[in-house]
Amino acid sequence: MTAMSSSAPSVAESAAVVRPMGSGPRVREVLAAAGARLGAGRVFGAAPPPVARPFQRADPLEATGIDGVRVGGPAQESVDAGFADGVQRFAVEGWVGVAPVVRGYVAAAVLHRHDRVLAPAAYRREEFIVAPLARLGGRIVDDLAGTGLPVYDADADRPHPLMDVQRAAQVVERRRERLEADVVREYRSRYPGVWLVVDGSLAGHTDGETAATGRYLVGVIKSHETQFLAGRDLETALTLPEGCRTGVFRRAGPGGVELYSWYLRLRDWAGRDLLYGLLRVERFPGDGVVGEVGEISRWLLAERAPVSAPDGRWDRLLYPIHMVEDFLRAKVEATCTSA
Amino acid sequence: MHERMTQGDAEPQPIGRVVATEAQPASPHQFHFWTAVATSMGIGAIVRVDDRGRTVYAVVVDARAYSDLDTPLHDVIAAEGRPAGGPAPTRRVEIRLWTAAVLRQLPEEPLQPVPLAAVYLASEEDVQVALRMDAYLRGTAPSGIPVGVYTGGGLRASVHLDADFLLGPESAHLNITGVSGLATKTSAVEFFLKSIFSHLPAGKGGVAAVCFNVKGSDLCFLDQPVSLTAADLEMYHRLGIDPEPFARVRYFAPFKADGVNLNTLRSHAALVGDVQPLVWGLQEVLDFHEVLLNRDDLDAKADAFIDFLSDRIVDREFRDDWGGVHRVRTFTALERLFRAVFDGLEAGGRTDMWRTHHVATIRKVRNRLLNISVRCRGLVTDDGVSHDLPFGAFEDRALYVIDVSGMDQLAQDLVFTRVVSKLREHLERRDLGVDRVVVFADELNKYAPADGPDTYVRRMLLDISERGRYLGLVLFGAQQFRSQVHRRVVGNAGTTVFGRMDTDELATPGYQVLSPATRIKLATLAKGELMVRHPHFTQPIFVRFPRPPVLAGPDGLAKFPPAPDVSFEEAVVRHLVALDPAVAPTQVKEALAGRREDDVRRALLVTRRARPDDVVAYFRASLGPRVAQREVGRVAGAPVPLRSVEDPYAP
Repeated sequence: MTAMSSSAPSVAESAAVVRPMGSGPRVREVLAAAGARLGAGRVFGAAPPPVARPFQRADPLEATGIDGVRVGGPAQESVDAGFADGVQRFAVEGWVGVAPVVRGYVAAAVLHRHDRVLAPAAYRREEFIVAPLARLGGRIVDDLAGTGLPVYDADADRPHPLMDVQRAAQVVERRRERLEADVVREYRSRYPGVWLVVDGSLAGHTDGETAATGRYLVGVIKSHETQFLAGRDLETALTLPEGCRTGVFRRAGPGGVELYSWYLRLRDWAGRDLLYGLLRVERFPGDGVVGEVGEISRWLLAERAPVSAPDGRWDRLLYPIHMVEDFLRAKVEATCTSA
Repeated sequence: MHERMTQGDAEPQPIGRVVATEAQPASPHQFHFWTAVATSMGIGAIVRVDDRGRTVYAVVVDARAYSDLDTPLHDVIAAEGRPAGGPAPTRRVEIRLWTAAVLRQLPEEPLQPVPLAAVYLASEEDVQVALRMDAYLRGTAPSGIPVGVYTGGGLRASVHLDADFLLGPESAHLNITGVSGLATKTSAVEFFLKSIFSHLPAGKGGVAAVCFNVKGSDLCFLDQPVSLTAADLEMYHRLGIDPEPFARVRYFAPFKADGVNLNTLRSHAALVGDVQPLVWGLQEVLDFHEVLLNRDDLDAKADAFIDFLSDRIVDREFRDDWGGVHRVRTFTALERLFRAVFDGLEAGGRTDMWRTHHVATIRKVRNRLLNISVRCRGLVTDDGVSHDLPFGAFEDRALYVIDVSGMDQLAQDLVFTRVVSKLREHLERRDLGVDRVVVFADELNKYAPADGPDTYVRRMLLDISERGRYLGLVLFGAQQFRSQVHRRVVGNAGTTVFGRMDTDELATPGYQVLSPATRIKLATLAKGELMVRHPHFTQPIFVRFPRPPVLAGPDGLAKFPPAPDVSFEEAVVRHLVALDPAVAPTQVKEALAGRREDDVRRALLVTRRARPDDVVAYFRASLGPRVAQREVGRVAGAPVPLRSVEDPYAP
């Protein structure tokens, strides 16, 4: 099997070298003198990838606006809950003319935690082929379908070697999101009334049944590409002290669905980067949702242990989510090596 | 992550999977597998791996558990430096990784690495095949001797040894090691003997056992029943052994210094009657003078003179150079001869040589030999009649217990050496009465030490170890420290058993072939658990054995407290009453009136040995006609007390 690329950052990438550049100490002295918070001084070699949707609107829901609130320390008891995540892999298996034929693999799972122990509760995987079908020719498409794998179209008006692959990758991503929604739905039917933490935004779970029964869904977002706040509110959110949260705000989800969200700082970021230990949490709107924010925040604060190291995102990667990733990674390896 | 394990009754379910990496590959003799965290697996469990026509049986020898924690520092970070902090909401994923040593592969050729396949707990039949017991448990002439119950992985399966490899002729001998104080060694040997007596096929011939009780009351109550637990009874049932005490036990003990009270802790009135005296005279002892005399005593000249005594004088009519005629059968008669020689030499003006032997050598040998009856008083008699084990009439499935616990080391050595020598003589001639004899000797590190002087006893043990299996003379040896026993003695034991071990002993080189986990298990073994090595088992196996169905020493002493020594007269009465309960004590006391104690002792031994129908009449006849006593002063030829046993030239 061809080696597959991964969209997830590697551990090596995440654990970038921490060292001041040549004039770094002098610059940091100036910043410190000006009252600025010092960062970790991580060294990068390339510009960060472009952000697709940098800004969105948000409306505060609490009387105190976005102001930081101390959540009162981590919860003492372990909460029985599910944790969901998905993975995707794809490989360009060949070219028909200049049209890429991509083999995709996606998988999603939910681990259920009971009495502090995680066990698989739902798991799905799918392997398929993605290509600009109109450009392949009917016989090849039939032959590809003859492999037994589903064949999906990644149509493009005009051939472009990089954008063709990018479009195929988007198909892979959509398949992964669909699979994640499937396992979430499966878990919800098996464990109604049990909290389910989804890695990432709830925006992918807004359709139909899941949204209707989404009272126990919690989305945990580690990346902060889209900023919902601005000005002082933004500074409040991104400079929260450890163990504090912002006020809840409302944001727009896909298809006109609203989502409630708030920021939560898991770890002290002094001497680190701005986003160190910072989560954004999402829930579907509903009665009492705002009132439960403190309880959920304390619960998530408790999830700082165990740490997810050596994963480079360990400062905000919840250990159960990390385990879902490990579970799926092991399944991917088994699939990729069993051919 | 914790995998759920299901195990139906009908269809065995895998409990693990073999894993192999480049760093930890599966080889033909060892492999690794993981199981769920909650598992009945443990060190010593037997497992099976099946894959495409190949079946591998193995025993678990090591285990590790670890989590995905990359460094302990991460746990410190997670707990925020507070050890007292509560548990994290999620348990880290952990693994139980086991190492198993291969017992057997089928097919056996070509020998290949263990397949990377599912792992199953062994069934009872698997245990038989894994330990190659199928070769001697099945077929027309099974020869299995149960040694205990394998209890790994929740299974209970009987484990058998091969009689041909336990009692000869293929291999033989059993050696057991364990710390003192747990009674494991003695209990195990008692159970093994019970198992042998129950299961040795009749076609293998008769078997008896000779046990030397070297300390305390360990072996004094082997004929007395004990209350067993339900678990013990279940094991006896499973192993097909009747949980009853030994049916035929013959006890032997020397006398105490008074010559009538037996030197044994089995002296309770209800039991002492079947303890037979062990008394030897000059003839029995002289052949084993090497045991009693140390190297300094036994120079070439002394040895030559002793040979002269053995070959030319003892038990023959011997005419000295001064007209005397001697028939030396006792120490008293020997002393009479010595006195005649010394007097004759003095009278003739010769003081240096007699029959090519220097008089100093003769005096030295005289002092040493006559001192034997002093040092071994109660066992060796000056002029009494010997009373020995029934060599030539050993009974099948009988246990002969020789209680030497009250004797000093020298006398113990003499008893051991002579008894084993006699057993060997009779087995060589095939006239012992049985075809095989198991000799149980405890404290091997004392009798056959790895270091120290080359003693007669050690040479004897080496000889049994190396040649005994051809004769049917089987050594069951026990010791606390195997490393301190002569390696040829332990090395020749085909079957080796280990109870709970001392950690210092386990640190010696002989145990480095065992995995660390196996060594730890050995250091913490519960009473009643053993590790067994046997020629058919390619790896050591842990088994449980039931409590022997006999009264243990301390319990026996509590139930049958030793009787205090009684007067000479009363002791004689008891001996005769034991022979015939109808004997009237008054008759015996009348017969004893005015008799010399030496005469009484001799008559008593003669009577015990003869076991006549009319005990009192025989005893009276043995005493001989009553002679009026009068003071005659010192008589020439009578034994002269030694002034010193250390000075070879003392008169």
